Amino acid sequence: MRINWKSFVLSLAVLLILFPFIYLVFLSLASEWRFPEVWPSYLGFKNWVTVFGSETGLLESFFSSLLISLSVAVFSTASGFLISKAVFYHPKKRILTLLAYFPYILAPVVFAACLSFFFLKMGLFGNMTGVVVAQFIIAFPYALLFFSSFWNAKVKSYEDLVATLGGNKWQTYTKVLLPLAKGLILICFFQTFLISWFEYGLTSIIGIGKVQTLTIKVFLFIKEANYYYGALSCCLLIFPPVVLLYFNKRYVFKKLV
Amino acid sequence: MKIKKSNVSILLFVLIGVVPFAAAFIYALLYSFGVIGVANNGFTLQFWESVLASGIFFKSFLYSFIIALTAVTISVGGALWITLKFKKQLEKRFLSFIIYLPLAIPGVVTGFFTLQLFSKGGFFARISHKFGLITKASEFPDLVNDGLAFGILLSFVTMVMPFFVLLFLNVYKNERVEELSVLAQSLGANPNQIALRVFLPILIKKTWVLIVLYFIFLLGAYEVPLILGQESPQMLSVLIIQEIKQYDLDKISEGYVVAVLYTLIVSAAAIVLFLPKRKSAYAN
Repeated sequence: MRINWKSFVLSLAVLLILFPFIYLVFLSLASEWRFPEVWPSYLGFKNWVTVFGSETGLLESFFSSLLISLSVAVFSTASGFLISKAVFYHPKKRILTLLAYFPYILAPVVFAACLSFFFLKMGLFGNMTGVVVAQFIIAFPYALLFFSSFWNAKVKSYEDLVATLGGNKWQTYTKVLLPLAKGLILICFFQTFLISWFEYGLTSIIGIGKVQTLTIKVFLFIKEANYYYGALSCCLLIFPPVVLLYFNKRYVFKKLV
Repeated sequence: MKIKKSNVSILLFVLIGVVPFAAAFIYALLYSFGVIGVANNGFTLQFWESVLASGIFFKSFLYSFIIALTAVTISVGGALWITLKFKKQLEKRFLSFIIYLPLAIPGVVTGFFTLQLFSKGGFFARISHKFGLITKASEFPDLVNDGLAFGILLSFVTMVMPFFVLLFLNVYKNERVEELSVLAQSLGANPNQIALRVFLPILIKKTWVLIVLYFIFLLGAYEVPLILGQESPQMLSVLIIQEIKQYDLDKISEGYVVAVLYTLIVSAAAIVLFLPKRKSAYAN
């Protein structure tokens, strides 16, 4: 019987894609798994029970991450949408767009290291507000560039039409622009949420270990060689985006062309 | 005098989008020249000379460049092959969801997972021991924190390739490559000609900016090389943070020299990529 190589490759690819999810859940359930054992001596919900008992502060980290990411997503999406209008209708929009690309393209951790002095002076070092502000600074250019394609001639003509028919600015936004941009705003919200949710380097510099988001926890557990809690933190980190994917793939995939 | 609303928006844009970047760059620049900083006594070229003479920046830059280039080349090549061979199968309901799953995994988790699989006490070392290929953990080859950056490369490829597969599948559909391929076939083109003269040029031309952008992102990657990298040479972001966080105060200024050089390079790349007026993808 001739084996269809395409089916074989695809089955292998599916296994490879699912493997990290299965392995991390498995590792989070394991304990006392020493080399060279291929099967852990304990497999159960002990680690998960500990998390919900708040002993490790993982649940607290989960909610800190959630609060930070929601704040960053709300502020950056709202400001990105409102400010992008002026930027992309501006006669010098090419220069302004280029300026937005500079912070977007720079490694966030290097950006944070060079900004940390100012955060220290402003009392934003080592607290959650500082982390939100720092993440907002890197999420804002993304949100702004995200809406670049929205502000086109067609949308402009809709705005002109509303003005001609006697509508005011408020009505232009509530009756035309926001309904038109609703889908994009939702995608931008989730993508800026994920930028913040996945962020490590910048958070570690500005939060100086005091703001313990889930990514910070993963690193702490790696340093402590506590791989079971590390895997558990990873599970808490990756399953919310999987849920988002289940509802809408576009929330996670950034299609930029 | 009434201030126009659009001017307020532009002012806000400058405040949020431009001022922090400019402030960070000027701060790093002044620190690198010894103008500011705890132990610095005024303008000096000492730190720049020291960094340039030691070659630490060039070594790290070259190392990061080679890793980022290799990872992007493998990812783009692999993604093109997958798109070319499996586009129809990947449109099916189950697979069309599965291929999005890797995007839910951030760099820090990829680094942790790779470490769990390929370290000397990891999953593959246990399997090798079970099958009698090794007798103790130290016999397992160095696949993480290694000189050839195998762990970093593998992580980068598993992070970036799924993104490019999805991107190419989107471009394939939006640019009607299927219809163009059928047209080329009816004009007598063979499958190789279709792949090389229709499929590749369209996909690369539509996505080259993103390919370069991902190369730049990988050049400045931090989490993965921090977990899977070696002591020396290090990738750029890891080197910069390590120098800036040192107790040796001279090293801090040298760290800022590397940060300034890195910022100048990525800024120049941004100017080359985004300043010229981009022509339509199919213009001559």
